[in-house]
Amino acid sequence: MDTPVDTPKIRVLAVDDETDFLELFVKRFSKRNLDVSCADNGLAALEFLQDHTVDVVVLDVRMPKMDGLEALKEIKKRHPLLEVIMLTGHGSVESGIQGMSHGAYDYVMKPFKIDDLLFKIHKAYERKVLNETRAK
Amino acid sequence: MLGFGLSTRYGQAVHLVLVPGLAVSACLTLVGESVASAAVTALGLGAAVFMSSLLLCRKIDAASEEKCQLDEQLIQSQKLAAMGELSSGIAHEINTPLAIISQESEWLRYLLKSLTTAPIDPDKAKEFAESLDQISLQVERCREITHGMLNFARKRDAVLQDTDINQLLEDMVLWVEKEVQRNNCAIHRAYDPKLPLVATDSPLLRQVVLNLLNNAAQAVERDGEITVATTRTGSNAVSIEVRDNGCGIPKENLDKIFNPFFTTKAPGKGTGLGLSISLSIVARLGGALTASSQPGEFTSFVLSLPIRRSAT
Amino acid sequence: MLETIKTLVVDDDERFASNMVKLLRTQDIDASVAPNGAVALEILAREAIDVVLLDMKMPAPSGVETMRRIRDLGSTAQVIFLTGHASVDEALAGLNLGAFDYVLKPASTEMIVGKIKLAYAKKQKLSRKETEKGDPA
Repeated sequence: MDTPVDTPKIRVLAVDDETDFLELFVKRFSKRNLDVSCADNGLAALEFLQDHTVDVVVLDVRMPKMDGLEALKEIKKRHPLLEVIMLTGHGSVESGIQGMSHGAYDYVMKPFKIDDLLFKIHKAYERKVLNETRAK
Repeated sequence: MLGFGLSTRYGQAVHLVLVPGLAVSACLTLVGESVASAAVTALGLGAAVFMSSLLLCRKIDAASEEKCQLDEQLIQSQKLAAMGELSSGIAHEINTPLAIISQESEWLRYLLKSLTTAPIDPDKAKEFAESLDQISLQVERCREITHGMLNFARKRDAVLQDTDINQLLEDMVLWVEKEVQRNNCAIHRAYDPKLPLVATDSPLLRQVVLNLLNNAAQAVERDGEITVATTRTGSNAVSIEVRDNGCGIPKENLDKIFNPFFTTKAPGKGTGLGLSISLSIVARLGGALTASSQPGEFTSFVLSLPIRRSAT
Repeated sequence: MLETIKTLVVDDDERFASNMVKLLRTQDIDASVAPNGAVALEILAREAIDVVLLDMKMPAPSGVETMRRIRDLGSTAQVIFLTGHASVDEALAGLNLGAFDYVLKPASTEMIVGKIKLAYAKKQKLSRKETEKGDPA
């Protein structure tokens, strides 16, 4: 997906307990002109979000200590305009319904195609901007 | 063909009313018959008259059906608004006594620990502990209900983005497919390839689609078939159909299924909020959600959406 | 040696508040009660409180108003809202005023204690930063 050079980079925070996945994610998506940061657990993500502005969070559903759904709730509590895309390996549909009702923008199955997730990140960002303009 | 359009739309009974004052002022009522046979008869009475009358009737019927639908939607949304207020109020009130009950059971459990040092009938102690567990369990059930109601009442304005409906559906279908394939169920797609992009709130729409697909999956259980179809139904409307060949919905329940808490599942399994929330979301999207069913044969949910919302 | 966390439970529901105190003490957390915002502020002015559990729905001053006054007081206590009410606007207002978190009732004591400990950790971190600032370079 082409973005003109002078538009601000979309700021993404990837949250997953698998550090290999995070490394790959940061590499691949930085190449696609996104500003990518990462955290390996929900609490670290929340701390990061307190001090940094992020547009879209990509959040794994299954994590130890604070699971994806809990992290989603905590993120939406503090940053209601931030869009969250959930990553799921084999999450049940019922959990998806729960996540959506708590404000998840979309769910993406692992393994995913980079371009598919990139498109969704762009759409999520678009929604964030629309919401922010409306809020003003 | 116009006639076929009418008969499939109105199901079993099709009333063709020819405009009075015309040479032929006969009223043809077809029950379950194809319009073709009516056309042959009518040709003998003047094909031109027949065609223009059909067109006129179709327009009148379409307009009155649209008005009925709009009236119904208005009533529905007013009902929903009232229910939203009511359920939100109830949920607030219930949460406080629930919180205290929860605390009492925690305290009793704590006391129980110190009581077991004295000689005590182990069976009675076990029952005591079980009762406590029940209290916690029931509180949890209530909590799910109240938090669900509060979620339901939360007003979130639709944020419109141009959405590829077929892709949105396919994403959700792929997910549900993984689960239903284990039970030997199949999901068929019938997407309209020429469907235009629709200005809608995609996460809200995803919720509704997932809910409908999940219901369909639960209805078919094993060896069933689900069909997902999209069509353009007008200059500014598209519709999504989710159809399953499960046990169907009995006629007396059909107008209750959108009520909050109506469920035919066993007590404790699912709160029955899904369809009422879906209906409320669809209303927010400026669309309509209807259900039809033949018990023992099929259930079909049709979600219609405007392609572009007019400025409100 | 772990210090005991000192909490203040502010809630106009007497039974709820006293239950909360009892249960927190079973988890080695020191707790006392204030039946309303005004009393809470008096206590905060004269005692060292680490974490405040604040009910949102109270007669004047309201939960949010009490939060505002706690902040104006310059108190270092971390505030956690406990509410049977889920108004997103009110919750956000509380968070924007500097509350640590909010919890929807009913909630297990275990969950609440978890958040109290996190709030306390934040308070420790902030006070360390303050003392570091105060040290001559």
